[in-house]
Amino acid sequence: DSHIQYERVGADVTMKCGSMDWDAAVTWTANGTDIDESHLNGSYLILKNVNLSQSGQYSCYEGSSWHLKYQTNLRVGMPPKEPVLMCRSNNYPKGFYCSWHLPTPTYIPNSFNISVIHGTKDMVCEKDAIPKNRCHIRYIQLFSTVKYKVTLTVTNALGKNFTTLTFDEFAIVKPDPPESVVAKPVPNNPRRLEVSWQNPSSWPDPESFPLKFFLRYRPLILDQWQHVELSDGTSHTITDAYAGKEYIIQVAAKDSDIGTWSDWSVAVHATPWTEEPKHLTTEAQITETTSASTSSFMAPPTTKICDKGAMVGSGAMAVCWTAGLVVAAYSVLFI
Amino acid sequence: MAAADSPSAALRRDLCSRGIRLAGKMRADVVDLLDAYVEQQGLDASASVAAVEGVPLAAVERWDEQTGTQRLLENLVAYRAFRALLAQMLEEQREQLGEADAGLGRALAAVLLQVSAFVYHLEELLRLESRGIPGEEGDGPPPPPRLSLFEQKLRGLGVLRELAQWAVRSVRDLRQLAKPSPATGAAPGLAESP
Repeated sequence: DSHIQYERVGADVTMKCGSMDWDAAVTWTANGTDIDESHLNGSYLILKNVNLSQSGQYSCYEGSSWHLKYQTNLRVGMPPKEPVLMCRSNNYPKGFYCSWHLPTPTYIPNSFNISVIHGTKDMVCEKDAIPKNRCHIRYIQLFSTVKYKVTLTVTNALGKNFTTLTFDEFAIVKPDPPESVVAKPVPNNPRRLEVSWQNPSSWPDPESFPLKFFLRYRPLILDQWQHVELSDGTSHTITDAYAGKEYIIQVAAKDSDIGTWSDWSVAVHATPWTEEPKHLTTEAQITETTSASTSSFMAPPTTKICDKGAMVGSGAMAVCWTAGLVVAAYSVLFI
Repeated sequence: MAAADSPSAALRRDLCSRGIRLAGKMRADVVDLLDAYVEQQGLDASASVAAVEGVPLAAVERWDEQTGTQRLLENLVAYRAFRALLAQMLEEQREQLGEADAGLGRALAAVLLQVSAFVYHLEELLRLESRGIPGEEGDGPPPPPRLSLFEQKLRGLGVLRELAQWAVRSVRDLRQLAKPSPATGAAPGLAESP
């Protein structure tokens, strides 16, 4: 008969070959591979200080006939540590959800049981299909001062553990971050950025339960954030941006009256409007066409043909070496 | 939105926004008062206080299904009760501590004033809807037996906690009231008979 056997990491495991006598001649295999006789005590298989890699299928065969006498699926694992539980209402006033996880894996199957008590009333937390470790509750009462008590128990074949959370209705209200954050430059305004966003779609009734917002922004090159709190509206114009610098901008939301701030939204980047430098555009175009086609040393009159670093001499007689070359070349031509 | 806002609809909206601001300020002050109260009375802030007789509970089922009239009436009954409870707390405070806790007494008196103002505000809103304002039932329930000092403190904690809850609920109630109804431009629920 095949069955599952759960053992703790570090335990000593003794496996009997079904109903075979201790002194019967048997062969044990682990996942099809013969196990050395040194692990046997008579017909018993002894595994000392088992570790995770020793999980697998163990089979015992009668010596001569090679009949399968016993089979077990050994699963090495651990009893659960205290689970981590979190409850939050991101859809107030509809309800709240609780989600949980284990701080370290157990390597064997676990089952979770959650109980929610409001005062003396038991409430049912409906498990979500996805994600697995989550359940949700609809509020029956609103504005209650009576606390909610949520107990999560996790059980597996090697033990159980639990944790309890107690909170009141207002404390767990935390919206999802604002959505669709957009930041745009404002034409002809080198110090402005227009930011707009939307209420998180999970917030069911922003009209009756309005959100307030917190905007933070900084140029990429600086570490210090600027903050603006907005009691309503889903847009804001930044008016003190540094000209020409790229900004990073985020928004958070909170119910106007209760609960805590959401996480920050996805960050958006934007650079304020800058004026196109017109003269540089024209010169650059001319330089490109001229240098491609001409073989003479004649430089176009408007182009700056040397920079400060290439100057030779000083005062009125300062001449850049490129200009000097041009003059020298012409001199040669006219000799 | 209706093409032309009727004067009464505009007045209702105005009363609602002022009421929301009043309730918001009241809540902030009650929360501060709660902190001071807990500290000065030597109480544990996380202590569970059983529902005390005579303290109106803010907890409500099917809140979203309430009519506008229901909201106003429940608020009115609650704040009238708080007005009496706070007055009683103020008197007990003065008896207990005299001058030692003038700050707490002043804060209590300030909140009592705001509660009275809110009662008046609610009566205005009801009058606007041509709703009869229910008379106050004499002194309400008979005065409770004299409580021990500790029992008084716990009851005070319960009163303030429930009042803070009510202040939040009132803001939500007034926002619901202020919503224009699609057909008539009147706030939803107020046109319906109870």
